Amino acid sequence: MNDPYVVLGASPSDSDEEIKKKYRDLVKKYHPDNYNNNPLADLAQEKMKEINEAYDAIQKMRERGSSDNSGYSGSSSYKSRGSAEFAGVRSAINSGDLAYAERILESSANRNAEWNFLMGSLCYRKGWLDEAQRYFRRAVNMEPSNMEYRQAYARMQNADSTYRPAGYQHHGIDLCDICTMMICADACCRC
Amino acid sequence: MFGYIRPARGELRVKEFELYKSCYCGLCRTLGKLYGPAARMVLQYDFTFLAMLLWEGGKKPVLCAKRCMASPCKKHCEASGDDSMAAAAGYSVILAWWKICDTIHDEGFFRSVFARGAKLWIRRAYRKAAKQYPEFDARVRESMNELFHLEKVGENRLDRMADAFAKILAYCAESRSGDEKRILEQLLYHVGRWIYIVDAVDDLEKDRKNGQYNPVDRRFALNGKSLSEEDKAYLEITLAHSQNLAAAAFELLKENCWSEILRNILYLGMTQVSGQVLSGTFRHERDGLPR
Repeated sequence: MNDPYVVLGASPSDSDEEIKKKYRDLVKKYHPDNYNNNPLADLAQEKMKEINEAYDAIQKMRERGSSDNSGYSGSSSYKSRGSAEFAGVRSAINSGDLAYAERILESSANRNAEWNFLMGSLCYRKGWLDEAQRYFRRAVNMEPSNMEYRQAYARMQNADSTYRPAGYQHHGIDLCDICTMMICADACCRC
Repeated sequence: MFGYIRPARGELRVKEFELYKSCYCGLCRTLGKLYGPAARMVLQYDFTFLAMLLWEGGKKPVLCAKRCMASPCKKHCEASGDDSMAAAAGYSVILAWWKICDTIHDEGFFRSVFARGAKLWIRRAYRKAAKQYPEFDARVRESMNELFHLEKVGENRLDRMADAFAKILAYCAESRSGDEKRILEQLLYHVGRWIYIVDAVDDLEKDRKNGQYNPVDRRFALNGKSLSEEDKAYLEITLAHSQNLAAAAFELLKENCWSEILRNILYLGMTQVSGQVLSGTFRHERDGLPR
């Protein structure tokens, strides 16, 4: 394994607090949320694992119980929540077999909300973001109560901007704030 | 179609700006050395970005001060020391050639006098580059044909058009392998998509005047009208999205000596340029970058 200090971009002379801060920054950077349905999600996950292991190793080296922070764990592949008809399409998109998914979707006569959602996911994986947004919007319009579709659509509207390194922030309103506001507004609207 | 991928000058540290200039000058020198002085004409910021991106991990650039035609009195720092410079030079010559061919085709015989002159001017350079990178050349030719065909049938899906162009850029990662290749392909694909859309917005006015196909015009069914504020906001989001996906891919790459400048370009420079293009001020801004 690589030197855990190098992995975290820290040095052995750093204090526990500094190490923790660097660890947190890296977790934010490679968080699965930043790589949701992204073709590179597996690499980000590996990176995440490496960072967690490095952090644990440093904690152990410094002979402190790692009870307070056992590292972040998360899985990025989304669970299949849809109908049986499209289960194969979902797993094909998850595994990156886009040609197969596209073939099945194109030949399906049942163009319901889920079909639009999956077309959106497929376009997203290809990098066709404009098309993806249109399909997601259609899915939300057809089935406004479905959280999965709404989340996907909301992610398009904030352009997946969850992470920015320190010093590279935009001026003006933070997109996270907008997102939080939207979630709050959403919570208020539902009766 | 080129010149949009540039750093935000105001946010670069002095040291980084000097390094950026040295890379720009180094690429110019490489173009001249490999493809003759005529090829220096195709020098672009975008390929400086590519040279920095493809630069191999731990290597430090060799910097030396030299004079050149553009500044015969004052010496400038030039970076060299990695194959990425040669690759970026070769790709830029090939792309410039096909871009010129495309312009000639669009403009017709009389209006394309300059483009035809330029074509003649870089023909030798192109032949040499095409021999060195035959697969890349074939790929660009294929994509250009595809774009031409799609324009003719009046394709209205913006992504379909951008896809053909983005694939060219993604192919610049051909020399890499494994995970690094996957990351670079995804990064370059989204940079390519971003360039294509920004260029389409930038050309909207010109294309309308000349009665030429414009993908953004088709997508929003403008028919001669200007982009509404709503359409602009929408484009801004989809551009930021590509930018974010490119940046997310970038963070998975190993750091190299240009990483800070690349971060500036990906997080700030692109945002600045897309904002300027959408507000119509891009052509009037002076950003103090080397020319």
